[in-house]
Amino acid sequence: MAAQAHQMCASLRNNLAVIGCAVLLCVMGMAASLAAPTFPALTGRIVDQAGIINTETKVAIEPKLQALEEKSGIQFVVATIKSLEGGDIETYANQLFRTWKLGETKNNNGVLLIVAPNERKLRIEVGYGLEGTLTDALSKIVIANAIAPRFKAGDFGGGIARGVDDVITILTTDASEWAKRPQIRAEDNSSQLDPAVIFIAIFLLIFVIAMMNRNGGAQQGRWVQRGKKRVFIPSNSTVPASKGYWTGGSSSSGWGGGSSSGSSWGGGSSSDGGFSGGGGSSGGGGASGDW
Amino acid sequence: MSMTMNSARTNCLPVLKRLRNLATVALVAVGLSGCGYNNIPTLEETAKAKWSEVQNQYQRRADLIPNLVATVQGYAKQEKDVLTAVIEARAKATSMRLDASQLTDPEKLKQFQDAQNQLSGALGRLLVVSENYPDLKSNQNFLALQSQLEGTENRISVSRRDYIEAVRVYNTELKTFPGLLWAATFFRGNKPMAEFTANEGASTPPAVKF
Repeated sequence: MAAQAHQMCASLRNNLAVIGCAVLLCVMGMAASLAAPTFPALTGRIVDQAGIINTETKVAIEPKLQALEEKSGIQFVVATIKSLEGGDIETYANQLFRTWKLGETKNNNGVLLIVAPNERKLRIEVGYGLEGTLTDALSKIVIANAIAPRFKAGDFGGGIARGVDDVITILTTDASEWAKRPQIRAEDNSSQLDPAVIFIAIFLLIFVIAMMNRNGGAQQGRWVQRGKKRVFIPSNSTVPASKGYWTGGSSSSGWGGGSSSGSSWGGGSSSDGGFSGGGGSSGGGGASGDW
Repeated sequence: MSMTMNSARTNCLPVLKRLRNLATVALVAVGLSGCGYNNIPTLEETAKAKWSEVQNQYQRRADLIPNLVATVQGYAKQEKDVLTAVIEARAKATSMRLDASQLTDPEKLKQFQDAQNQLSGALGRLLVVSENYPDLKSNQNFLALQSQLEGTENRISVSRRDYIEAVRVYNTELKTFPGLLWAATFFRGNKPMAEFTANEGASTPPAVKF
């Protein structure tokens, strides 16, 4: 009977551990994402995978792109890719934009100029927040007038440099947008804590459950018949624990694994000094072209 | 024997009680929200929101058409058949709206899709015909409308892709553990949503050459 009562305590603890694991699995399952072609890594404001932009052009436009983001928060990235992997450039550009998360989360103010030289296609993909400024028609004009003619002549560097200039001009001449921006950005910072709060709550929950496991751990062991007496043997003695038990050690290491992988979920904003997307998204705005 | 049993009981009971209380709280909070109770309603709302985005983009395309038709008419009056086909297809497509609550009906979704596809086809023919009119092709208004139409077609395909993905996630949740349990108990009324069949005519923007 007594052994049964103890087993009940233990089985309760077991249940908790199982529930905890299930929760963890649920959370991890949510992170599963859509299958997509292989994308180059976002290594900077210019990702020249196809290797068609000469150094002078890179040196010339990189500071412009950086200045644009510092002044207005707009993330403008230029990418050249080796292959569209059989898809169309619209789909590829949209998925790449969403993978890189260009622009700020709240404002979705990202722009992607993507060139696929082997397919002779290019596209300006515009984030949700800039669709009103850099419209489809304006994007098309930039492609048709500034970029495509130079590409036709084989001048990739010149075409991209001119395209970047034109897009920046369009983005920075809309005065009403400019006036609003500082306010929007200030509000942003205050509400950026939300995910952090959620994580703290999750960790608190894990902590509470872990504490309960520890409390139980003091009682852990089993009852053994020694002659005429029943003796309680703690599980940290040399007697091996019976099969059904989760020892304190193994369950706590399980939690430790969970929390360390949790830290990687928080990624997204630029805290490592390198360049990364701000969390913006695009719904297919912009225009495509070829040459 | 009974002595040891009693002492063992008193030894265990307070711990048991406390554990039980904590476990109940943890079970309710963690079990319900952490393990999928919220998933079904959340995913359903997400899919519905994606649907309204799809409808939005189709509406946006319909809004562009009167302007486009007027511009083409100015240069190509003789293409009456094509213009009428576009106007009729537009009228049919705009008269058909699908509530988020009707999304579980594959038949309704198919009707909606057919109407929109018909409009896509008519628009495609209009753009092909307009190739024959050099004055029209170089008209700035026409060029702007064309690029807007292209952009809208692309937005339609993006929003359709998002909707298909949201429906896939929602339907999977209804059929897999642990969503399966919630679907069988608390959300018995939740039916799987109808999926778009990816249609070439509607998802590829009409080819426009400059």
